[in-house]
Amino acid sequence: MARDDIHVGLEIGTTKVCAVVAECREDGDIRLLGVGEAPSRGVRKGEIVDFENACNCVREALSDAEEKSDVEIRSVWLGVTGSHIQSFNNRGSVVIPDEGGEITDEEIQEVEYKAKEISLPKENAILHSIIQHYYVDGQEGVLNPVGMLGSRLEANFHIIHGVTNRIQNSIRCVKECHIEVDDVVVNSLASAQVVLGQHQKESGALVIDIGGGVTDYIVYLDGAVRHSGVLAVGGDHITNDISIGLKIPITRAEKLKVDEGSAILGKSLPGEKIVLKNDTGFSGKEVEREMLNMIIHARLEELFSLLRKRLAGEVPEHLLGSGVMLTGGCSTIRGIRDVAEAVFEMPVHLTRAQAVSGPTSAFENPRFSTCIGLAKYGQAVRSEMPEDTFFGGFVKKFTGIFGIKS
Amino acid sequence: MITYPRYLDRSQTPVVRLIGLGNAGVNLADRITMNRALDIETIAINSDQQSLSSSVASTKIPLGPLTTRGLGAGGDPEIGLDAAKESLGDIEAAVGGADIVFLCGGLGGGTASGAAAMIAEAAKNSGALLVAILASPFSFEGRRRGAQAAAALHEIRGIADAVIHFENDRMAELTAPRAGVSETFSACDEILLGCVEAIVRLISAPGPLGVGLPDLLSVLDGGEGSCLFGTAAATGDNRAHEGLEQALASPLLERGRLLDDAASILVHISGPPSLSFSEVGAIMQEISRQASGNAMIHLGVSTSPAPDSPLTVSIIAKCGAASPIPAAQPPARRTAAPKPAPPAPAAAEAAPPAPEPTPPEPPTQSLLQPEPPADQPPAPPRTSPSAPRPPRPPLPEPKHAPQKIKQETLQFEPVARGRFEKIEPTIVEGEDLDVPTFLRLAGKKR
Repeated sequence: MARDDIHVGLEIGTTKVCAVVAECREDGDIRLLGVGEAPSRGVRKGEIVDFENACNCVREALSDAEEKSDVEIRSVWLGVTGSHIQSFNNRGSVVIPDEGGEITDEEIQEVEYKAKEISLPKENAILHSIIQHYYVDGQEGVLNPVGMLGSRLEANFHIIHGVTNRIQNSIRCVKECHIEVDDVVVNSLASAQVVLGQHQKESGALVIDIGGGVTDYIVYLDGAVRHSGVLAVGGDHITNDISIGLKIPITRAEKLKVDEGSAILGKSLPGEKIVLKNDTGFSGKEVEREMLNMIIHARLEELFSLLRKRLAGEVPEHLLGSGVMLTGGCSTIRGIRDVAEAVFEMPVHLTRAQAVSGPTSAFENPRFSTCIGLAKYGQAVRSEMPEDTFFGGFVKKFTGIFGIKS
Repeated sequence: MITYPRYLDRSQTPVVRLIGLGNAGVNLADRITMNRALDIETIAINSDQQSLSSSVASTKIPLGPLTTRGLGAGGDPEIGLDAAKESLGDIEAAVGGADIVFLCGGLGGGTASGAAAMIAEAAKNSGALLVAILASPFSFEGRRRGAQAAAALHEIRGIADAVIHFENDRMAELTAPRAGVSETFSACDEILLGCVEAIVRLISAPGPLGVGLPDLLSVLDGGEGSCLFGTAAATGDNRAHEGLEQALASPLLERGRLLDDAASILVHISGPPSLSFSEVGAIMQEISRQASGNAMIHLGVSTSPAPDSPLTVSIIAKCGAASPIPAAQPPARRTAAPKPAPPAPAAAEAAPPAPEPTPPEPPTQSLLQPEPPADQPPAPPRTSPSAPRPPRPPLPEPKHAPQKIKQETLQFEPVARGRFEKIEPTIVEGEDLDVPTFLRLAGKKR
């Protein structure tokens, strides 16, 4: 474990496969050593639909990263997403054996185990169980109950689960390249690691990571994960909408979205046209700017409205003191902030990975948030976990669940 | 005295005259004279001698040479009216003998606003059918002009058989924002021109499925709303689709969105002999998708003998007339008329709708026995004691609206998913999020 301070995050995304090699220091700072990237093929809505192609992309991205960082990659923290990933909050409780006894690690483990005792669909497995709060004899807000006296320990956990086979597909894809998977991490959780600072997690924030195929979101409240999820709508949908609405090919629609698209309505001159040049430079079709913007606006507004609706019953919005953080490749669309602010009625910030240093600061682009977050998540897990503790066992158990055999 | 309007006598081609009144009208008359091979006599009437002298219209009438001394009405409708009174004799002579008179002009100024009503009356008295095609001024031309235009429009509505009214503001959307002034104005003229052409074609072109003036009148009947109009011609393999697309792209239709608002819609499709039934079916299907479920659709199809003539689609409807129930505008009279079931291709075979004349046709209303245009299948007249042809077999009842909507949606879903067609759909709250949001929104509005 000599190179424990180097972590590699790998995200098999819908638009790109990228691998971030980062050196993580004790103080939590991240120094990027290299980012490898390959355009993604065979991935739709965050899930692999063409195994062979996806494997090649992963191979490409990893070797690119190795080349750029001059590090030999042996294992990666793998990001997973997809509409199958779901979450809920559950409370576990244990009775401390001797009345008024001391709470030990054992009880902590047991309470987590209890919280995870829920009926999931057969094909699903738990990806994360994240502690929210402990309660000792009904006393709220206990951060670390170890050593405290009590008769009853309860704990709220945020549990994220997904379909085992689909997650295994991603893992197998990496194993095909003879690379180990340290662990699988849900994308939203990874993004939040680098997008949110500790004080933002405390004051409450919603992170929305809009990628190519899916939108991952996660809510932090009082320093703990309150809610998370995936909505299988992303930048691809906007491109597809444009392609259908303006009757132009997908590739052209993608370019139009990036170059000209905006989500703000009413800012273009009436009847303003954009001339599309075709490959020969010959000016081909004309499209109406307002139409283009209307298509983008409609999609984003719907996306945000759906998210808000999903959060409605789960999270008290007025407690989100730090507002909404937008990240992911799709967050670079012009005017997206205005749409989000109009829908969520709270401040919206465009963010990217924070506290990242290194010669490659150019990579501080919202599209790499997840990937950098994966590396940071790796560092956080490893630093919390002295070797040979139950936590290590926990990770092993994980890899066991997904049938990882070297 | 009971008159039998000449335009109903279809034994010979109708004599169509177009009066261009005022500067805008003269422009239009010139364009029609020069550009198009339309069999129309054009009459330019203006108080401004200068514009007349450069006009190429077949007949020119200086309006009130004594009143205005050939200098124009100077934006004052009073002067325009005085001038018209002075030249009434000339005008009557010019419109005499016409079957259909189009009165075109731009309202808001002096000549057209002042004289239009009087000229309309003269034409009407001569026994012609009068269709007024009028444009109201741009809003930036000031409130005064707007008021003058509104007053004149109101007056003409009382006289003319049909008023097609366009707002220049809307027509200007046709051009790019940076287009030159003259380009914008000529775009407006172009629309008026297209409109005249479409109506002439509609009336005169022979075809298997005719719409006639009565249909036009009923579509344009009643209400103060402005007209929805779109026309386009297309050739080639995909002509049906392209023609419709372009016709709907007319700014006056807002890409067909406004069709939703219209209670009755007149669609005229003309084309070469190769015009196929399925093309007609496809066009009508799309239009009925855009239209509200209760809309009355008048369909006319005509073919021209020339094999290379383009397929033209013309859509005329009236804004703001849609009522929630198919009670449409003249409800009682409508009920007896068979209604073409809009989307079904069978509609093409169905008879064109109610041929009754509409209220603004005072002299002949009670005795009218409208004869559908010759060589077109008969439309069963409402009271048919002397209907010359046997009544049509019963038509499918026009009660398929809800079913229609369902079918359409199913049809168009797979197309609209685009690149997500073959992968697992994202369904949230019963909605397929892979279908573009704007399409779903448009669907919901309906």
